Amino acid sequence: MIEATPRERRRNSKKAEIVAPRQGFRLPRSVRRLQRQAPMYALQGLSSLSTRLRDITGREVIDMRRVMEVIQFIYQQRELARRGPNYAVDDYGFDPEWTESFLTVFKTIYRDYWRVETTGVENVPATGRALLVANHAGVLPWDGTMIKTAVFSEHPHPRHVRALVASQFMGMPVMSWFLRRTGQAVGHPDDTRRLLERDQLVLVFPEGTRGTGKSFKDRYRLRRFGRGGFVATAIRAGAPIIPISVVGSEEIYPMIGDLGPVARFFGLPYFPVTPFWPWLGPPGMIPLPSKWRIQFHEPIDLSDLAPKAAEDQHLVMSLADEVREVIQRGIYDNLKRRRGVFL
Amino acid sequence: MTPSRVLVTGVSNPLGAEVARRLTAQVPRLFGCDVADPVSAIEDMDFVHADTRLSVIGKLVRQLRIDTVVHLAVLVESRHDERAVHETDVIGTMNVLVGCSGPSSPVRHLVVKSSQAIYGAGGGDPSFFSEEMINWDRPVGDVTRDLLEMEQLVSEFALRTNQCDVTVLRLGYRVSEDTCLGRYLSLPIVPVFAGFDPRLQLLHEDDAAEAIVRATLGRHPGAFNVAGEGVVLLSQAIDIMGGRPAPVLPPYWRWLSRLGLRTLGRVDLPRHLADFLSFGSVMDCSRLEQEFRWRPAYSSRQTMDSLALGKTVEAIEPPSPPQEYELQKFLQQRRRRALRLSN
Repeated sequence: MIEATPRERRRNSKKAEIVAPRQGFRLPRSVRRLQRQAPMYALQGLSSLSTRLRDITGREVIDMRRVMEVIQFIYQQRELARRGPNYAVDDYGFDPEWTESFLTVFKTIYRDYWRVETTGVENVPATGRALLVANHAGVLPWDGTMIKTAVFSEHPHPRHVRALVASQFMGMPVMSWFLRRTGQAVGHPDDTRRLLERDQLVLVFPEGTRGTGKSFKDRYRLRRFGRGGFVATAIRAGAPIIPISVVGSEEIYPMIGDLGPVARFFGLPYFPVTPFWPWLGPPGMIPLPSKWRIQFHEPIDLSDLAPKAAEDQHLVMSLADEVREVIQRGIYDNLKRRRGVFL
Repeated sequence: MTPSRVLVTGVSNPLGAEVARRLTAQVPRLFGCDVADPVSAIEDMDFVHADTRLSVIGKLVRQLRIDTVVHLAVLVESRHDERAVHETDVIGTMNVLVGCSGPSSPVRHLVVKSSQAIYGAGGGDPSFFSEEMINWDRPVGDVTRDLLEMEQLVSEFALRTNQCDVTVLRLGYRVSEDTCLGRYLSLPIVPVFAGFDPRLQLLHEDDAAEAIVRATLGRHPGAFNVAGEGVVLLSQAIDIMGGRPAPVLPPYWRWLSRLGLRTLGRVDLPRHLADFLSFGSVMDCSRLEQEFRWRPAYSSRQTMDSLALGKTVEAIEPPSPPQEYELQKFLQQRRRRALRLSN
């Protein structure tokens, strides 16, 4: 209920109830105080330890900023649990607060595990619609999460990127819940159009599962870019296309084989075999710590084209090829700049 | 042209009664027909015992010189068997259409109630259903299939006759004490499908009645989606109702869960509702807003809140004489309004 005036607030206010203390066993007051203040004491101790270690060794042994991030994450989770049903999701089921709290985890992976170097993030507009187009690799869509993290943490105006997901993943139990909650939509032309009309950043992987499911020997070779549907949608919505080249995602799961019958049984597009999966079980799903580079290219402006141009199949396919060329060239550039796979 | 002699089929269900109550003040002559006695007496309405499954509607329409038929005898969920639903929806509607067709028919306007269940729900569906996104290959033996057949008959009728305007209203899922979804959400411990948290779009009872009244009084040929604005997540809805979600139903083999719920609990979950509660479905109501220049007053969230508010108010006694029920209903509404103001 919105209370606009002090008078309304006074009318709606209630007297505070005096609640009797709970009966039963209670710890002594001093122990309770210690319990309450333990996190603070621990933090103080850790910070003084960090200072002392820095004085002794001359370098940062315990980084207090990282520690504070972990604490912030825990507090955020507690706050999220406390809000009960009093939060709003948008029509796609996107919960921004929840997503932002989890971006801390992805930011740690982004910075410390894959040491992502991002260039050209200023090509992403601070406001308004845009269609981000990237190459797709790695067995699981980690590249999507890293692009989302890059735009949210490196851009001067943090924005949420809404990725388009193959429809079969939206029917999977835990997957659909997580993807919807973090703002993904179904890879359907209608969904793309609606998101762009709401001036959102939409991320699309035109290669689809053909890109993620390719074997290790085909790495960094782009697959076919669908049928150019993403270009047609961008022309209709008048959104610029921003090509993105991602390097490093190919090495996280070196896929040496594909068990087709098993995949068909589980209703998956492919069932990967890597040096670690499925031999090691769940630990085999830990991705390798390769070195990543993400490059956002110059936007390709389509605003001079009339929406009718989307029906010109020749124009659409040539534009799709142009985007593909830009991404492929960007991949080769970044591979040259990278010193080694794990460096 | 305003309607002068209106026939409402299926007046004895709560929605039909509400529509009739609102129409009495607006139209000169109102007739109602149903197989069961009406729960509340409406003074200016003439009630006829007539079964739409038999071909009496044609005679009725010609004898009473009806110019507008509001066809609400369409079951979406019932405690009867699925055969009865098929008979009522497909055969009943066919009889109504046959009665309204022909050169001797005085009917100029037909309003048919349909449901959001016609779209079904699946993992790969787009995030929003607009009116033409009907999926024709849905399984046989379900309400969705019956509604599809019914709407096919209606659209064929609309194509065949040019003297009669046909309006089809696809009403969103409603939550009240007498719908399956409402009873399900009111459980203290709600069994949900593990790994899913679908988006629910709901329609308030008042808005459903208002939409039908507006469709009757105006001329808006075509099919329209009618549902509240925004979405509520299932977990949010359960939390609003004060229940606890228990993710005990396995995400696959949903028929097994339905069987379990029917034998162990009191809840009979139809197949379309099981799909809705795992994948969710959301309709795009922009055509309704453009044509009717009206939108449902309650958003999905407010619908859920009003259901939760109703739970705190005591239930009405079973309706012994109709007038008594009216009085009780009026008193309950007053109590709810008072409660809402005091909150």
